[in-house]
Amino acid sequence: REEKRLVEYFRTQVRQDPEVPSAVAAIRTLLEFLKRDQSETILGLRENLTQTIRRLEEADSSVAVSSGGELFLRFISLTSLEHPDLSQCKKVMVERGELFLKKISLSRSKVAKLCHTFIKDGAKILTHSSSRVVLKVLESAAADKKRFTVYVTESQPDSAGRQMADKLRKLNIPVTVVLDAAVGYIMEKVDLVIVGAEGVVESGGIINKIGTYQLAVCSKAHNKPFYVVAESFKFVRLYPLNQQDVPERFKYKADTLKAVEDLAEEHPMIDYTPPSLITLIFTDLGVLTPSAVSDELIKLYL
Amino acid sequence: MPGADKETELKGRIEDFLADLKRGGSGTGALRGSGEMARETTYLLRRITAQARWSSAGDLMEIIRHEGRRITAAQPSETTVGNMVRRVLKIIREEYASTASGTSAKQNMVDHVIDGLVEDLSVQIKSNQILFVTYTWLGHEMATGLSKVIIGTQTVLANGGLRAVNGTHSVALAARHHSTPLIVCAPMFKLSPQFPNEEDTFHKFVSPHEVLPFTAGEILSKVNVHCPVFDYVPPELISNIGGNAPSYIYRLMSELYHPEDHKL
Repeated sequence: REEKRLVEYFRTQVRQDPEVPSAVAAIRTLLEFLKRDQSETILGLRENLTQTIRRLEEADSSVAVSSGGELFLRFISLTSLEHPDLSQCKKVMVERGELFLKKISLSRSKVAKLCHTFIKDGAKILTHSSSRVVLKVLESAAADKKRFTVYVTESQPDSAGRQMADKLRKLNIPVTVVLDAAVGYIMEKVDLVIVGAEGVVESGGIINKIGTYQLAVCSKAHNKPFYVVAESFKFVRLYPLNQQDVPERFKYKADTLKAVEDLAEEHPMIDYTPPSLITLIFTDLGVLTPSAVSDELIKLYL
Repeated sequence: MPGADKETELKGRIEDFLADLKRGGSGTGALRGSGEMARETTYLLRRITAQARWSSAGDLMEIIRHEGRRITAAQPSETTVGNMVRRVLKIIREEYASTASGTSAKQNMVDHVIDGLVEDLSVQIKSNQILFVTYTWLGHEMATGLSKVIIGTQTVLANGGLRAVNGTHSVALAARHHSTPLIVCAPMFKLSPQFPNEEDTFHKFVSPHEVLPFTAGEILSKVNVHCPVFDYVPPELISNIGGNAPSYIYRLMSELYHPEDHKL
């Protein structure tokens, strides 16, 4: 049906350009839906949009799709009160949607520009799994003629760390892949830890690939700075108090959620890192301490 | 021509200010102490606003930013100067947002607000008296039970950490060890949007002749002596910065400065 076509559109977007964040692909899909939509009332339009977001979440269970979708909805809904005429309203919504898309496409470069100055010459950096934002940061630092070495955790079960290492080698950055279990061993050698985030929660903590929490605890014990780099559309309205509080729909891959009956047998793909272990969060809204995140979140969602 | 005279006079004053900065920093010379420096900077910025040629808020901001860059380059460890420039830029933005009328009204407004800022400064400098703490006895005193430790600082950084006089980190560590609250008193113009990562501008070194005098003899050729002026105190060791927790500093920062002005 219509929804299946949109999910296909989303999947093609992700396939065609693997560099683009999944949230951006989701928002492009929503914009496409908005252009094609035939509903007669604004309420109907909103309901259809919310339905589509839910379909996309089922296709890709990452936190960013959920937060990106919600932000898009809020960003364009601000117009619905100003224009009583539906077609006029839809036109303005599409314009605002395009504006929103343009703004967030630039966010990764903004983050990289802010963060690379924190990487000193001769630094040894530890990172976890594969993050495109971290890659961009390291790329900018290398372009700035800084010399540094990188350690990447292998990050099982999908060995995403190895892909990260390959990408770094292409940039001529010296890189070593370490076992997930070797994080404690390697921590005394590194100068700083930089990780990406799948979602940034209201408390200032982050949701990221499993193993990030371990990394954070270890770096705190060794007194090493733990930096997080994330675009602002990853800010999500959750307040987990511990690992169990993170909703199930984010913990596992979308296919696992649909296929498996008893989730207790499955390994979660993400974990939650509390704000007390994080030194600074680099976003396109600026360099934030974890306590500043909730203020920025409120500004975004209001 | 009277216009050209004014311009050369303004340029002369700026050059004098830069020379003072390069020569003294805080502690010696004409500019003694951060308060004095903040006041002088504000007077200079007021002069620039009054005498330079500008026709829109953007022009004025560009002029102030340009002069600001020169001033901060003269003495990078003196963050007060940069902070004052950023504060003025924020004031200009606020004024521009609230007024809709022409240039002359704007000029008066900005002057008026800068006057207010100077007033503000004098009040703050009087009310934040920095208490004197003797470092040598501190460990002993703390072990026998001090109720609190109050210190001043040269700069408060954006993450809530401090750039303070050498020895403060040891005091902070001792206070943490004996569970004594550590309170920092600092006027608003010491709040800087910098983070403690900028190595080249963070530290200032002075001659070590006070530690190891030239009369020490042979040993001088065998050792390297470094004499940094400042210490970094991480936010975890601080209980309170004048009524606010270190984690609240970002909020004060957003009220004083605009994020685009963080880099002049």
